[in-house]
Amino acid sequence: MRTAPDETTRMKTVANKISSFVDRRQALVYPAPAVIALFLIVVIPIGYNLYLAFTKWTIGLGDPRFIGIDNFIELFWDERVLNGLKVMIYFSGLSLTLELVLGLLIALYFHREFRGSEIVQAIYIFPFAATPVAVALIWRIMLNPEIGVLNYLLTSIGLPGSLWISSAATVIPALVMVDVWKWTPMITLIVLAGLKSLPNDPYEAARIDGANTLQIFWYITLPLIRPVLIAALMLRSLDNLKEFDIIYTITQGGPGIASETLYLYSYNVAFSFFKAGYGSALMVVVFLIVLVFNVVMNRMRLSAQDI
Amino acid sequence: MSKKMIFLLIGALLCVGMVSAAVAGSVDWKQCQGTEIRFLMNKHPFTTSIEPKVAEFEKMTGIKVNLEVFPEDQFRNKRMIELNAGGSVDGYMIMPGQAKLHYWKAGWLKPLDDYIADPALTEADWDVKDFFAGPMKGSSMDGKQIGIVINAEASLLSYRKDLFERFKVKVPDTMQELEEAAKFFTGKEVDGKKMVGVTLRGKGAAATSQWVDFLYSFGGSWTDAQGKSNLASPESIAAFKFYGDLLRNYGPQGGTMLHWSESTSIFMEGKAAMIFDANVFKSLYENPKESKVAGKVGYTTIPAGPAGKVPHVSNWSLAISGTSTPERQKAAWLFVQWATNKENVLGALMAGVPAGRASAWNSPDYKSKDATPDWTAGSLKSFEIGQPQWNPPVLNVPEIRDITGLVIVDAIEGKDVAASAKKAAEQMNKKMEM
Repeated sequence: MRTAPDETTRMKTVANKISSFVDRRQALVYPAPAVIALFLIVVIPIGYNLYLAFTKWTIGLGDPRFIGIDNFIELFWDERVLNGLKVMIYFSGLSLTLELVLGLLIALYFHREFRGSEIVQAIYIFPFAATPVAVALIWRIMLNPEIGVLNYLLTSIGLPGSLWISSAATVIPALVMVDVWKWTPMITLIVLAGLKSLPNDPYEAARIDGANTLQIFWYITLPLIRPVLIAALMLRSLDNLKEFDIIYTITQGGPGIASETLYLYSYNVAFSFFKAGYGSALMVVVFLIVLVFNVVMNRMRLSAQDI
Repeated sequence: MSKKMIFLLIGALLCVGMVSAAVAGSVDWKQCQGTEIRFLMNKHPFTTSIEPKVAEFEKMTGIKVNLEVFPEDQFRNKRMIELNAGGSVDGYMIMPGQAKLHYWKAGWLKPLDDYIADPALTEADWDVKDFFAGPMKGSSMDGKQIGIVINAEASLLSYRKDLFERFKVKVPDTMQELEEAAKFFTGKEVDGKKMVGVTLRGKGAAATSQWVDFLYSFGGSWTDAQGKSNLASPESIAAFKFYGDLLRNYGPQGGTMLHWSESTSIFMEGKAAMIFDANVFKSLYENPKESKVAGKVGYTTIPAGPAGKVPHVSNWSLAISGTSTPERQKAAWLFVQWATNKENVLGALMAGVPAGRASAWNSPDYKSKDATPDWTAGSLKSFEIGQPQWNPPVLNVPEIRDITGLVIVDAIEGKDVAASAKKAAEQMNKKMEM
């Protein structure tokens, strides 16, 4: 089909106008799709959550009713909030420490040439690549004290079995074990990448000066790798502080409330008790904790880079 | 052929035609052809029994049915979230005793009376009067039918009849005998396995569904005459304590993490002499592919406590979403009606799902093939003597169950039950909504 000449001219003018607008406002236009997407999936939900935190609302029954800071006052007197904080600190403290230490050691081990290293590394990455809920379900069965395979193995070599997730005393270490198994490979991957990018000169100099392996690690590798370690810790802590899949799949916070982290409690309040207002207030507290932790870590990372 | 003969023949043909019309019924099953409906289902033996037949229904009606099946805890949360979002769910399974107050208030339950009364939508032989009156009443709100009963559930004491016979142990009829039998079997080596006496649910809120039978049989209750929490009454505390002690002393290790799936697994592995759980799990115990105790299980009602035998009767119903469109609701009703017809309920009973229809239990076909008459007798007896109220009589059932569950956990761990119950009663009084 042919278009009339004047119409073609007009279309050209429109196209010109658009392209000149894009040229003039590149900084605005190019990131716009990403900004809009981010706004829709991050800013709006967080804003809505913040709004709900100041309301009383049972899902399905009427509309959210504004009640000011009542939810935050209630939170102070709620024993399960205190319990949730304790569990969160215990779980995250233990698992993050172990993952960081083990991840670093294993990365050092892999940071050498040896036969079959690629195969070993591929197998080692497997837990990290596996779907969290699927592996958690398998762990849940393995950790069962009556019919689980772990106690079967322990007792068959003459050791006493453990109650694992079925006792308030051992549930957190058992969950940490699963978390460490699943996430240490991620730390290893990051640290390994860091190790590979380290300059060679300091090592040569140290060896010429007669430093031993431990000294090289302590005085050269560790300081050089510190920003990477902190970055790995930050990445991991973002997920770990609001760990959900593993804990929910394996224990749902039990026995009793012995593994109910603050995040899990907020989920229970909002989606099992359907109290969306109070649940959102708890969610805000978790959000603040994660935020503060990461701001502090980021400061540490920046100061480590300055050295 | 004489004219008379021809008239007779035509008359006879007409009669045959009328008879077959009556068999086909008054409902045009194709009336919602092309509609697509979506049902949220709990992973329950009834669902398992109906799922393979859905294609038949689709062929008969031209309605496309999407059944989405989830394990119970996830199912409840999913159902709530989806209904609150509105729109795409047309029907779902519901335990009226758990959720109907909330769902009715929220407008998520479509009253079904107009459908039931309309001969163009409901076959006469579907027979609403055939359903058990108690559960049907439980599935109604403000005099309106809001769900159709798909089963009736009571908890039974199931025991290894082979072992009880071999060791000449009396089948428990009182709580004391229950404890003695549990004690007898605990630690016993049977066929190379170390037994536990009894297995029960111990996992907090989930355990309240079975613990409530002990509560009632010990003379306790959820609330007192003033509507305040009665969890800290001496009778209620006795029930907490008995249940907790039983599980701690004579049950599997890690009792506080036993949901029904763990508890039934232990029984099916042949590691427990008794289990107290819903009668619907017979279909698990008696499945030789998954259970090592198939054919070896006896069934009886709950043992009598100080207040006698007071089990609870609960049930699942199929409900239609109040937020769906009229056209889809109509199609959903055809599906509900079909799923709960006499044939399908009988089929489910044959597969071990305790039916909510008298005709299924009375059917000669069932009676002649009944491999577990003690299960049938125990179930029917429990329905007769059972309490329909099995959850706390409040709007926020899950939260109060959760509070109660923490006392059960403390009792299993051997902590100070009286103190724990007192704390729970305070919490309950503070948090219950009517």
